[in-house]
Amino acid sequence: MHSGGNASSLPLVGGAPEPTINQLSKPGRRASRFPKLDVPVTEINNSAIRNDKPSLPEVSEHDLVMHYSRLAHRNFAVDVGFYPLGSCTMKYNPRFADYVAGLNTFANSHPATPSAFTQGNLEVLHELEKFLIEITGMDNATFQPPAGASGELTGLLIIKKYLEENNLTNKTDIIVPDSAHGTNPASAKMAGFNVVEVSTDVRGMVNIDDLKELVNENTAGLMLTNPNTGGLFEENIMEISNIIHENGGLVYYDGANLNAIVGVCRPGDMGFDIVHSNLHKTFATPHGGGGPGSGPVAVKAFLKEYLPGPIVEKNENNYEWYMPKLSIGRMHGYHGNFLVALRALVYMKLLGKEGLDTLGSYAVLNARYLSSVISKVIPLAYNEPCMHEFVATVKDLKKSHKIKAYDVGKALLDKGFHSPTIYFPLIIEEALMFEPTETQTVDTLDDLAETLKAIIDELQGEDVSLEEYPKNLPVGRPNELIPAKHLTVNWGDFELLELTE
Amino acid sequence: MFVPHSEIDLKKMFEELSISSLDDLFTHIPETLKLNDGLNVPPSLSELESISDFENLESKNTQNLICFAGGGHYDVYLPQTVKSLTMRPEFMTSYTPYQAEISQGILQVLFEYQSLICDLTDMELANASLYDGATSVAEAISVAINKTKRDNVVISSGFNPNTKEVVNTLVDRNKFNVNYVDLVDYLFPEDYVFSQDDAAFVVSLPHYEGSAQDLTSIVQNAKAAGVITICYADPSMLGILKSPGSMGFDIVVAEGQSMGSPLSFGGPTVGWFATRKELARLVPGRIIGESRDSNNTKTYVMTLRAREQDIRREKASSNICTNQTLNAVGSTIHLSWLGPEGLYEIGYQAIQKASYMKQLLTDNNFNVLNHTSSLREFLVETKKSAEEVILEMGSKGFLAGIKYDDNQILVAVTEKRTKAQIDNYVNSLMEVDNA
Repeated sequence: MHSGGNASSLPLVGGAPEPTINQLSKPGRRASRFPKLDVPVTEINNSAIRNDKPSLPEVSEHDLVMHYSRLAHRNFAVDVGFYPLGSCTMKYNPRFADYVAGLNTFANSHPATPSAFTQGNLEVLHELEKFLIEITGMDNATFQPPAGASGELTGLLIIKKYLEENNLTNKTDIIVPDSAHGTNPASAKMAGFNVVEVSTDVRGMVNIDDLKELVNENTAGLMLTNPNTGGLFEENIMEISNIIHENGGLVYYDGANLNAIVGVCRPGDMGFDIVHSNLHKTFATPHGGGGPGSGPVAVKAFLKEYLPGPIVEKNENNYEWYMPKLSIGRMHGYHGNFLVALRALVYMKLLGKEGLDTLGSYAVLNARYLSSVISKVIPLAYNEPCMHEFVATVKDLKKSHKIKAYDVGKALLDKGFHSPTIYFPLIIEEALMFEPTETQTVDTLDDLAETLKAIIDELQGEDVSLEEYPKNLPVGRPNELIPAKHLTVNWGDFELLELTE
Repeated sequence: MFVPHSEIDLKKMFEELSISSLDDLFTHIPETLKLNDGLNVPPSLSELESISDFENLESKNTQNLICFAGGGHYDVYLPQTVKSLTMRPEFMTSYTPYQAEISQGILQVLFEYQSLICDLTDMELANASLYDGATSVAEAISVAINKTKRDNVVISSGFNPNTKEVVNTLVDRNKFNVNYVDLVDYLFPEDYVFSQDDAAFVVSLPHYEGSAQDLTSIVQNAKAAGVITICYADPSMLGILKSPGSMGFDIVVAEGQSMGSPLSFGGPTVGWFATRKELARLVPGRIIGESRDSNNTKTYVMTLRAREQDIRREKASSNICTNQTLNAVGSTIHLSWLGPEGLYEIGYQAIQKASYMKQLLTDNNFNVLNHTSSLREFLVETKKSAEEVILEMGSKGFLAGIKYDDNQILVAVTEKRTKAQIDNYVNSLMEVDNA
């Protein structure tokens, strides 16, 4: 074992629980200092002014730094270990992007600064748009959506507005595969559509016969990832998009799995009309513990005027903001997550043609290799060549030894790995979904497969209590019922609960 | 680039898969779809080569404009301590904390974030962040509509026009009315009459124009009509303003940029969302709870998951998945760094400096439209078009503010501005506007 699989190299430290910043607070301590007020004092007369000081912790700067550093030591991250986390594309985030995102006016421009003073920022968005439309095979893009789900909603609102403009308001159904991410149906509902589920066939792909039955004059569109959430390339994608188009609907590409096909093939060539990309997945911007992301939406030219705006347009000598004529409006207070977009541009420029042409190929190579070595340990859900991720299942182990996907994931944590995605897609029993990304070495992949084999052997042992896993981490499995039932979501809530019970 | 494989590695992997090239991975993809010549993009650059590219690109922005613009995003001082702790790779490169046992760091910071926001706003439950202030307003309206099952939204017109556009985009106006109520003398009318059809009352504290008022009695009137009351607060002023909770609001949302995030050209920042526990099950986004593990050790965990899209799908309270966690980490650390004295001071100094500036402008024959009711942000009338004035002030080194109307500029002052900067601004404005 080489990398992360050796318990002695466990990246997390713990011990006694870290107090909250509030528990570290003592009256009269402070970290902040400000210059003396350099203007004459006037009396402030306004009914909204308070008479007391706000309630905040009082800590020294050193205590503050120690506290948050100790919390950092209790957190797994891409920089400390391997996330084989299906559907999340947890690849290496180049450090160089930190430097660029910290450059003065990139980091510190006020968003209402006129375009005359922010030509560099507008050029960043324009350059990134060029990369993005080339990679996806589309014509125009907006960077308004701050995350993938917002990109989905953007795409659906574009479909809705397009149908309204074309007097097709009878079209109210959005078709979503039963294997889709939860954001797909949630976004469709938010946009005011009915959600219609299409089933998956035995091979793990969209059931074409079912699709044909579901499509009718009310079909507004289809949302699809390709490769799909089972990690399989939808081989009949042209037939699928034709079926939707022939019925006057639009086809939406959920870019969650774009990493698999960058440089291999393009959504725009598969008949997709609208594409969102997750810059925090495919284009290596850091996930930030759950965000910020960025979910730019790219469209074919006939939908450009529907994009949320403003978008950047290049004129003869400069860049300008342009509000598309039939725009659905705005998805963000200003220009979306600009600094995330900038980081993605850094990544794309570093990769360039050599890197982008082979990006999908290496992502698939790593996944295919990992699926091959893992299939010797646990069975795969589908007998098809996987793309950038694949799904394995422990349903047999559940029957024979009551070992659930959840238990395997928890035991892996003990060995220095993040768990794969579990119980997704929902249509596969006891699913474990692996996505290694292209930035992990073959040694790490072997290490994961060997570790998986070791823990599955261990978990089948006679006296094993599955609930005890993980055993070597700062905390064990949390009781998930207490906070859900008692809403212990604020400091003091739990202590109050203990006092009252 | 960033692919680690040596020739020896590739040989081993190809052998395992019985393939001889990368192309062999894709025999199942229809030939007509494949990119035979690859992508039409520029060649790869090393980090060393691209440094000058990006520094050059950055230099195309006008440098060192002294910022007098606000409108929700403020040039508040962001200490190095906060920046460097927030950028710790264990926070920055981690995934969403679904695996609690290896995510106690992020989970505890987010729990502290929720608690700090509750303390500051006098609320009971905050979520772990939304995208930004504007989308938070729209999410709050959606909670009010779901709670009341009514279809009329009463919203103050005293909002950033972009925020209004986001609301107009995200609230389905085929189903719901969005009724903008004009301010009177830059304040929300105290005698506004709410109806039984109103789902939400949404107002900004201070108003976009910079004026502020105690909203307690208006909130009481709204609540008497069964309306859910929503306050959009300016976090950097919460050290000196009465808390929205003390005024009786049901939901508080905010653009959290000024607490922990650089201006960032508007993103990424963070949307704050806090409310009372009775609305818990309608709250959008992630919520962190405190629990115990089997050894009775304190453990934080994502909770009330049954509201979320990955479980509830089309019945979820919102479609939000990825949020703005790292910016929420920034808010947490910044608020802890500031403490009660620091947060008070940035509000106090901003108001004092704005008072000085308003008086100086008035003394020099500029009309400050909301001189008395405004705090740190206010409207100035210009003779020339606001657009022209802002462009000309730019060449004198100032971001003069945000165009409010043809001849009106919204000017914001933070604790960072010095007397000398204010004096120079006013002098420059006289030169520009009287020329």
